[in-house]
Amino acid sequence: MKNLIDFFLRHSAWVFFFIYMLLSGMMLFGSRNPYQQSVYLTSANTVSASVYGALDAVSGYFHLHSINAALEQRNAVLEQEGIELRAQLRDLRLLLPDSTLWQPALSPYRMVPATVVSNSVWKPKNHITINRGSADGIKPQMGVMDRGGVVGVVEVVAPHSARVISLLNSDLSISCKLRGSEFFGRLAWEGGDPRYAVLDHLPKHTTYNVGDTVVTSGFSDVFPEGVIVGVVEGKAHEVSAGDVQLKVALTSDFARLSAVRVIINYDAAEHRRLEASDSIANAKKQ
Amino acid sequence: MTRTVINQVILAIVLVLVQVVCNKMMLLGVAMPIVFIYVLLRLPASLGTSWVLTIGFFLGLVVDIFNDTPGMNAMAATMLATARRPVFYMFAPHDVQEDGLLPGLDSMGVAGYLRYATVLTILFATVLFLIQAFTLRDGLLTLERIVASSALSVLLMLGMDSLSTGTTTDA
Repeated sequence: MKNLIDFFLRHSAWVFFFIYMLLSGMMLFGSRNPYQQSVYLTSANTVSASVYGALDAVSGYFHLHSINAALEQRNAVLEQEGIELRAQLRDLRLLLPDSTLWQPALSPYRMVPATVVSNSVWKPKNHITINRGSADGIKPQMGVMDRGGVVGVVEVVAPHSARVISLLNSDLSISCKLRGSEFFGRLAWEGGDPRYAVLDHLPKHTTYNVGDTVVTSGFSDVFPEGVIVGVVEGKAHEVSAGDVQLKVALTSDFARLSAVRVIINYDAAEHRRLEASDSIANAKKQ
Repeated sequence: MTRTVINQVILAIVLVLVQVVCNKMMLLGVAMPIVFIYVLLRLPASLGTSWVLTIGFFLGLVVDIFNDTPGMNAMAATMLATARRPVFYMFAPHDVQEDGLLPGLDSMGVAGYLRYATVLTILFATVLFLIQAFTLRDGLLTLERIVASSALSVLLMLGMDSLSTGTTTDA
């Protein structure tokens, strides 16, 4: 026993080396499921979120001008859309006398505004930290968007902060389609240029034009149908086996994210419960 | 002695915060300033490797937590801490007295310190960007990032060193 202790004392540096390499290796390759990570080891923990919050309080002012201009622009577009839709609605009402059909369905979605306090675009797996958390009703696997479109999906949540898997992260893929068609595919980022992603798994007979808008399919509970993601730029790879792969220019400016919205879906919990009871029922049958 | 320790702790806190900001940038797509390893370079030469390893691992871990790269900086800093002593003796002047010596421009000379800092920074950057390269397929980009980031970081650290040398010689 004494010899063993002596041995460890004499080679303590090596013992420490192996312990630390093992620990960092476990962190690097250990957790395969990002949604199960401990919040303490992420930028959403209380200390780092508040440091980022303080840094953002200083640097946040620098982008205000361009953000303001972009918001004005967006406001004008929405205003225009509102006028057109109201006009269409008025015309259609004349055709359809039964007003009960016009009761709008209650939307299951609610938007919570949040501010990005930490963000990166150059890593292979980028994350975003926002200043809203479980106290604001935010839970993992909720969608995040900004004025440009889809930004990412909430991953881990602390009381007043949350970490979001950026769309610029090889772990995330989103079910998307070409607007106005029923061609569905999977959108994911392949690393490198933060302005482009790839839409693949499209059927062979997909027809498309450069400039077509890519929107979310609404197949999952994360994003409602029709949230804009990007614009088709062309074919992604010259040699692609089988399915069509498109290069998509993302409409969100990831290098300058600031004001985002978290999408709370009140139906999501119910859907998951149903799916869970479904799979239990299936398991019992077998 | 106590004063040195307090100075080192303050330096560590400041540089980790600066690193948190630096990690968000990649100048020209290839150069990331790495500054927190300056703390490890400047630890007293006589400090035991176990201590350097421990300080390195936990500094790296804090940077990782801020940066959402669990284990990446921690592993690279552990490697740097392991190599520090042999690299120091490779480049330190032969008549150097180890007791309480802080590796730096004034104690090692420009050439010696430059080599010491460059070798350790390249080691750190290589480990860091190779780990990232597991998911990034572009090998040339990884190499460019290692070279550009190391060069930028060594320059920054030399700058910091000449600043701190200027203030501490009269203390």
